[in-house]
This record gives sequence, structure tokens and C-alpha cells, in this order.
Amino acid sequence: MKELSKEESLSIITSMIEATKKDLQDNGSWYLLWGWLVFIACAIHYSLMKVGYEHPYYAWILMPVGGVISVVKGIREEKQQRVKTFVDDFMRYVLIAFLVCMLMVLFNSGVLKLTTYPLLMMVYGVWLFLSGGALSFRPLLIGGIINWALAVIGFYVGFETQLLLLAAAVMFGYIVPGYMLRSRYNKASRENVTSFA
Amino acid sequence: MYMFKDLDPLLHQQLRLSIMSLLMSVKEAEFTFIREKTGASAGNLSVQINKLAEADYIKVQKTFRDNYPLTTCAVTDKGKHSFESYVKSLQEYLKPGV
Repeated sequence: MKELSKEESLSIITSMIEATKKDLQDNGSWYLLWGWLVFIACAIHYSLMKVGYEHPYYAWILMPVGGVISVVKGIREEKQQRVKTFVDDFMRYVLIAFLVCMLMVLFNSGVLKLTTYPLLMMVYGVWLFLSGGALSFRPLLIGGIINWALAVIGFYVGFETQLLLLAAAVMFGYIVPGYMLRSRYNKASRENVTSFA
Repeated sequence: MYMFKDLDPLLHQQLRLSIMSLLMSVKEAEFTFIREKTGASAGNLSVQINKLAEADYIKVQKTFRDNYPLTTCAVTDKGKHSFESYVKSLQEYLKPGV
């Protein structure tokens, strides 16, 4: 067998780490799924309110639909996942904390009233900022900061404007970074051709 | 004068080094993932994984998923330490002027 040179050793180490890193990149699908669902729900709610429909909040029926899609998608991805990272573990805890806080806000919206949406944006901001840090992806960090800024504005405006703010929050926090993640992922996938005999 | 340490023979082999480099950046990886990334044959990969496991550099877990056998590998603390020493030695060798 051919003796491995020191330079070859270093090259193997670097290319294997690089090959794995490319494979572990987030494809943005979760951000796009929830970003678009919330955005569309906001748009429908706002439009129904404008045309004077009696129950405009029916638009939020999209959320349980998203929940079902997420469970199916989550189970399928878990089965297909062939590699686990420490970031995955950390993100699982962040996701649980995010869901608990979000549900606490939603289930107490009767008491929170007009502060519900701003508080939601605040919780979104925490999730986005932590995700951005864990994935080293600046657009998510910026999305988190935008969500916090919109949350502050949201505390001082009426419900109609809050709906528009929430739509903007998910557009800049989820949809735009989601497409950017997808584009980064596609680019990395095209370059991901590393092989050793 | 600096004395070069001998490079760990267990790590100084193309496929074993590839496996360890891959596992160092993750928590655990399935056999099929390692095979895909290294491009090695299943037989050769099994042999090298066993060698690393015997030396306690990695731990191998065999389970089942959907009635199919599932092999998962992860680096141990000993493996991590050995890999770091190996990289350090390599860097010493490759230092300009040494």
C-alpha cells in the first residue's frame, strides 16, 4: 500500500470536514413552510377584515394544517437523517423552548389581547436569533433583530397594523432567509463531490 | 531540539483517517453516510471501522430501523484525543523551516 504523505493526510482531513459540512447545511424548508403559512394567514385575515367578513380569524385554520404537515415531515426527516451533529441536539432544545413560549402566548391571547402579536414576534425573534447563531447564518440573525424591532412597534399600534407587521416579520425573518438558505444549500450540493478510494 | 513524534499508525492510513475526520465534525453518523462520503467499499469500510473500534477510537452501535440493520459510529474521547495529537504532529512536521 502506498505510504501516505503528510500533505495528503492534511488534505484528507480538510476535504472530509468540508464534505460533511456541506452535507449538513439546512435547506431552509422549515423556514419557508412556516413563513409562507403565517404570511398567507395574515394576508387572508387582513383581506377578510377589509371586506367585512364576520369571522376573519378563520384564516388561522392554516396553522393546524401546518402542524399536521410538520409532524409528517418531521417523522420522515428523522428517518432519513443519517448523521447527527451537536448543533442538532442544541436546536432540538431551542425548538422545544420556542414552541412552549409560542403556545403560552397563543393560549393566553384572551388575557394578552393586543399584546399577543408583538409577543409572538418577540418569541420569533429569539428563535431566529438562536438559529442564526447555531447555523452561522447572518440573514437569520438579522431576521431576528427585525422581528424584535417590529414587536416593539407592534406594542403601539392597532390590530390591523399588527397583522401587517406580523406579515412583514415572517417575510424578513423566515421567507427571505429561507430562500437564502435554500440557495446556499443548492450551491453546496452542486459542489459536494468528494470521494476517496 | 524538537523531537518528532511518530504519527499514530492507526490514523496514518487513508480510509481510517477519512473516517475519523468525518466523525470528528459530527455527533454520530450512519455506516451508509460514511460509505457515501469516503467512497469506500462496504467490506473495506467494515474492516477499517472494526480496527478503529478495537482501538477504542470510535464506538459502533448496531440497531435496527424498519427491520433493517442500522450501524452508527461515533468518536470516543480517546479517539478525539488521538486525532488531535495526530493533527498536532502533522502540523509540526509541516512547519516551514523544520
